[in-house]
Amino acid sequence: MAKQKQLSRRQFIKTSTIATGALAAPMIFTTRKALAAPTEINMLGWYGTAEPDMVADFEAANNVKFVPKYYAGGDNMLAALAQNPPGTFDLIHTDAEYARLLIESDLVDELDPSNYPMDDLMHEDFMNFPGHWNDGKLYSLITRYGHLGVSYNKNAVTPEQAMSYNVFWDENLKGKVGHFDWHLPNLGEISLLNGNTDPGPFDISEDAWKAVQEKTLSLKPQIGGFFDFGGTFAGLKNSEMLAMVGIGDWVTGILERDGAPVSSVVPEEGGIQWTESYSIVSTSTKKDIVKKYLEYTMSPEGQVKSAQMLGYPGFAVTNSGRKLLNEVDPAEAKRSGQVDGNSNDPVELIKQGRIHYRDIPSRQSLEDWNDFWSEYKNA
Amino acid sequence: MIAMSFFLVKNYRMVEAFEFDNWIKMTGKDYFWDAYWYTIMLASLSATVTSLLAFPAAYGLAFKVSETTRRWAIFFLIIPFFTSYLVRTFSWYVILAESGVANSILGLVGLGPYTMLNTLFGTIVGYLTLTFPLVIILQTLSLANIDRSLIEAAQNLGAGRMRTIWSVTIPAARVGLIIGAVFCFILSFGDFVAPYYLGGSKPPTLPILIIDTTKAGQQWPRAAVVAVVMMLTLMAVAYTAISFAYRKKR
Amino acid sequence: MRVDKLIRWAIRIYLLLVFAFVFTPIVTSIIFSFNSDRFPTIPLGQFTLKWYQTVINDPGFWDAARTSVVVSICSAVLATFIGFCTAYTDFRYRFRFKGAYIALALLPPTVPLIILALGMLAWLSKFHASGQVWSIIIAHTVLCAPFAMGIIRLRLQQMDPDLESAAWNLGASEWRAMHSVVLPFASPAIVSAFCLTMAVSFDEFTVAWFVSGLNKTIPVAILEVLQGTVDPQINAIGSFVFMTSISLVIIAQLIFMRRSNRSTN
Repeated sequence: MAKQKQLSRRQFIKTSTIATGALAAPMIFTTRKALAAPTEINMLGWYGTAEPDMVADFEAANNVKFVPKYYAGGDNMLAALAQNPPGTFDLIHTDAEYARLLIESDLVDELDPSNYPMDDLMHEDFMNFPGHWNDGKLYSLITRYGHLGVSYNKNAVTPEQAMSYNVFWDENLKGKVGHFDWHLPNLGEISLLNGNTDPGPFDISEDAWKAVQEKTLSLKPQIGGFFDFGGTFAGLKNSEMLAMVGIGDWVTGILERDGAPVSSVVPEEGGIQWTESYSIVSTSTKKDIVKKYLEYTMSPEGQVKSAQMLGYPGFAVTNSGRKLLNEVDPAEAKRSGQVDGNSNDPVELIKQGRIHYRDIPSRQSLEDWNDFWSEYKNA
Repeated sequence: MIAMSFFLVKNYRMVEAFEFDNWIKMTGKDYFWDAYWYTIMLASLSATVTSLLAFPAAYGLAFKVSETTRRWAIFFLIIPFFTSYLVRTFSWYVILAESGVANSILGLVGLGPYTMLNTLFGTIVGYLTLTFPLVIILQTLSLANIDRSLIEAAQNLGAGRMRTIWSVTIPAARVGLIIGAVFCFILSFGDFVAPYYLGGSKPPTLPILIIDTTKAGQQWPRAAVVAVVMMLTLMAVAYTAISFAYRKKR
Repeated sequence: MRVDKLIRWAIRIYLLLVFAFVFTPIVTSIIFSFNSDRFPTIPLGQFTLKWYQTVINDPGFWDAARTSVVVSICSAVLATFIGFCTAYTDFRYRFRFKGAYIALALLPPTVPLIILALGMLAWLSKFHASGQVWSIIIAHTVLCAPFAMGIIRLRLQQMDPDLESAAWNLGASEWRAMHSVVLPFASPAIVSAFCLTMAVSFDEFTVAWFVSGLNKTIPVAILEVLQGTVDPQINAIGSFVFMTSISLVIIAQLIFMRRSNRSTN
């Protein structure tokens, strides 16, 4: 009996070795393929920014390999950066609000603006973007941006209706309006609807803040749910939600490219801009190659890749980038309005003063806004 | 083990500076208590529903099928754990959507469409996905280990089927049944995927509140307040349940 | 007798329903993994293997798979061992502060995962141990051990404490008694605990995201896709993992069965 037991145990080991071997075989192949020992660039970024469609060309040309760590939410990013051993990450891709925090915490390197085509940027604001500069020094390099407004299902809402945030209160959309679950863009849009455009939707008095709260609460009966990226995609695609607050083309653009009847506009009351940038981590040991990548992102090719990014669309920030995009992918340029003289040209919208840069509230604390958001979700 | 857990508590203090201020702020909010009671309600509901639904299955697996079938069944119940919970939840999303699989099938027989997503129903389906297999396994294990002679004795004494289950089987397996329910409660209480994706976080539960708090710009200490309240609650629930489970035996 | 049969059938049907419920999302996910549309909606698009190709050609996926396998096996071994020791201590000994000891042992699952994750991250980084594969293993061991303990404790509960004393009286050393009385008695629970903890570790993503640094596990990879861009890659990954694990389980089962057949022979 003991012998039999042993025998079958041996057999078990044999079988499992074969099974593991079968599993491991492709791994060995793939590792061998990668054995040309490219330099690894460890990047913290939003999903999609280090996928092959973005970095494959650069990887091939410079014998590097991007190892991304994708985060969801700037606070996760800060936690990951702060708690991992210094030198873990080389490159950070993040939003202006968080770039500011990185700079304040002294986590990223100063950049030399003369290395980048700053005068080719499409708007003067981009050349001196708040949050990217500190004391007249550049720390974070703008790479793409996008606008937030009204996102809607074309079968349920007309483009005319979508030109005002009031569409969210439409009787026909009851239970079909969704929130992107982050307080800043949502409350910012309501603030715009309340007319807080000067100096901006995030710089409002106590009274105006009260009014924003009241207005937001009146929207609650219309709301079908609160979603993150995945839920937002699926909800819009399944027609589970017919209009969304707090998002823009960065979500609907993906669905639109896929043929879904959804779209986003910046309504009359104005829109909010998200702005993404690259920073080099101070403790990185591969700064030279990372700097080279930063230059690449500002080249026309890099800008076109960013505009076409499969993960989510963003606008080109340089004139030459837009020009090349119009040459190689006129359809995407047209879809996203990145054509000179178009009525929904994002740069034109900024010039008209209809765009406000997303920011943290300046007269209330971020906690107050978040508290209200939790309260609202519970209401 | 002690060291491990102890370190956990200790490092916890390291990270989260427990300021009294945060406590007052957090516990002074109405929405905090609303979310608290709602979460307790949801978790209790989940524990009850799951335990009730699992019991006939576990009973069947323990008494009405062969040893081989039982072993296969348990292995098949473990398998779902290996397909990501996230993927499973997302599949439910597709199934339960208004234009989804379930409503299409119901539509064929002239029913619906029903709104199942972003409702309590959706949340419970999500919790079931998470906990159902585990609870069945725990219940089956404890039922299968009951001394058969006890049941036979009861039947010989003329007890009916229901009577036997009620006064012999359930008490004998009590520890396992309660532990199953407690695990279910703990898991549901702490899970944010189901109420978030399938319940549309309307209204939010405590785990969602934690995630929210962390989005407010480095508010980890306040998230910790919520976490500590959750831990205390769970410890209390687990302690009560376990002492109830062992009450007579000791 | 007829009633008996009826009940038997009712229970079988109920079991089928239960399994149908448990497997519905898995089957759906497999179906959609072959669907050409980027977003899972009805009606289905065309049959395609492109999501599988994407996944299989992605070296990151294989790295993640390897990490996941290593992590889940190691944490399952450790967690089961720790779980057994704790359960045995609880069963065998009575000492002061035992309540506190057990409470501490049961603490990890009651901590919300994200907080546990942050605590772990901070703790591990104190020892410069974050961002490694074994930091995930440590974290998962802590997380899983209580589950193992629960299951094993349950089984020990059913053991007559006198059995072990009897073995001692018969001259068996403590180790011997442990080896030939306690362990065999607890072995089904130990196997279950091992499988369960392995499964839990294999599927955990919150803690893994924080402590893993750049070493992804499969659920972390899925989470990233899910939170960034939803596409059927996640279904393909899920189905792929499902197929692999189900075949491994079946192989293991067949071996077990042959073994038990032999021993009955």
